[in-house]
Amino acid sequence: MARVMQLLEARVVGEGDWIAAAEICQMCRIEQSALLELADLGVVAGRHTYTGWQVAASALPRVRVAGRLMRDLGINVSGAALALELLEARQALESRIRDLERLTGGH
Amino acid sequence: MEFQDYYKILGVERAATADQVKTAYRRLARKFHPDVSKEANAEARFKQVQEAYEVLKDPEKRAAYDQLGSEWKSGQQFRPPPDWGSDFEFSGGGARPRRGRRAAAGDGEFTEGEFSDFFSSLFGGASPFAGGGAGPARAGRDHHARVDIDLGEAFRGTTRTLELRRPEVTADGHVQLHAHTVRVNIPAGVTEGQLVRLAGQGDPAAGNRPAGDLYLEVHIVPDKLYQLDGRDVTLTFPVAPWEAALGASVTVPTLGGPVQMSIPAGSQSGQKLRLRGRGLPGQPPGDEYVQLKVVLPPAGTPEARALYEQMRSQLAFDPRADFAR
Repeated sequence: MARVMQLLEARVVGEGDWIAAAEICQMCRIEQSALLELADLGVVAGRHTYTGWQVAASALPRVRVAGRLMRDLGINVSGAALALELLEARQALESRIRDLERLTGGH
Repeated sequence: MEFQDYYKILGVERAATADQVKTAYRRLARKFHPDVSKEANAEARFKQVQEAYEVLKDPEKRAAYDQLGSEWKSGQQFRPPPDWGSDFEFSGGGARPRRGRRAAAGDGEFTEGEFSDFFSSLFGGASPFAGGGAGPARAGRDHHARVDIDLGEAFRGTTRTLELRRPEVTADGHVQLHAHTVRVNIPAGVTEGQLVRLAGQGDPAAGNRPAGDLYLEVHIVPDKLYQLDGRDVTLTFPVAPWEAALGASVTVPTLGGPVQMSIPAGSQSGQKLRLRGRGLPGQPPGDEYVQLKVVLPPAGTPEARALYEQMRSQLAFDPRADFAR
């Protein structure tokens, strides 16, 4: 099997502030209706422009996680939104615990 | 290749109903889902569970799998029987040719949707979990993979070697996987969970239609020194009591190298000082927060002990003055 070494330049997605909804749906493998519902629930920030609906680029990791949770666990958009909030709250608490452990010399 | 006991992986009997299989999958998927789980090897376990469910939820695949018999055990060396597939026509995802599409793999990192060789040898095709989703149907399929980098690499940018496998149709109409290795430059300033795109590195499409893209989801492994929050980093910085009390000029590590920083007089343990623009690069760049941690010198020598006694007698200091009485 032939092997060819190429050097590829990766482009960071979402370096701009906003991404077209269709593009974010493709990248996150999520239906547009689900994306709109996530926006309605306040999970992602969206806006209407003359070219169409857009989502804040900063929301990309959240939308990807929401998409995976919906696909893999069979939960609906509300469930994914709740799970995301709880996961992020857990992450913040774990970060805070690590912070305090470093401060107090704990593990 | 090793045999996979899909019933054992899902923890169900061979006679389990479709509902029991689904329930078992949901329970294990929730337990091992990489976005949720804290279990060791969660990603590997989750892929196994996904693969087992992909077979056992599909009556055709399950019937075919059952024909292999119940004598096989997980981990046993396995080859498909010579007449494998002659009685089955898989109409669902993963139709023949058996050596179908596989997602790109890189450095042994987690790749969404890549199933075992055992699965591929029996059912061909990649997982439907790796599908192209809601994208334009005419383009080639996108691939998604995960890449782990450390904080220093995120700051400076880095390269990764990825082995990409693409299906290509040969002149006689067969599909073969064509492997090639690429080096990928990941730019400086990527943050946790961010996607980088390699245009045209997904599956090719028929005719003049565009090939799919390869997306790498970047994960930054926890750092021993710094805590990461977006593009900001926090460093816990030990200081002596007199440095905190009297102020000091100290050398502080940053991602870009050490810098001099002034600690203001009267600082307390836990106080955070900001070094603007010393976090991960970006527009705008992140900051470094230096969190002071006052460390007491031990009273292990007569001199140290004398100094502590002098403080006790001369300082009117009550650390519990705020306690309610």
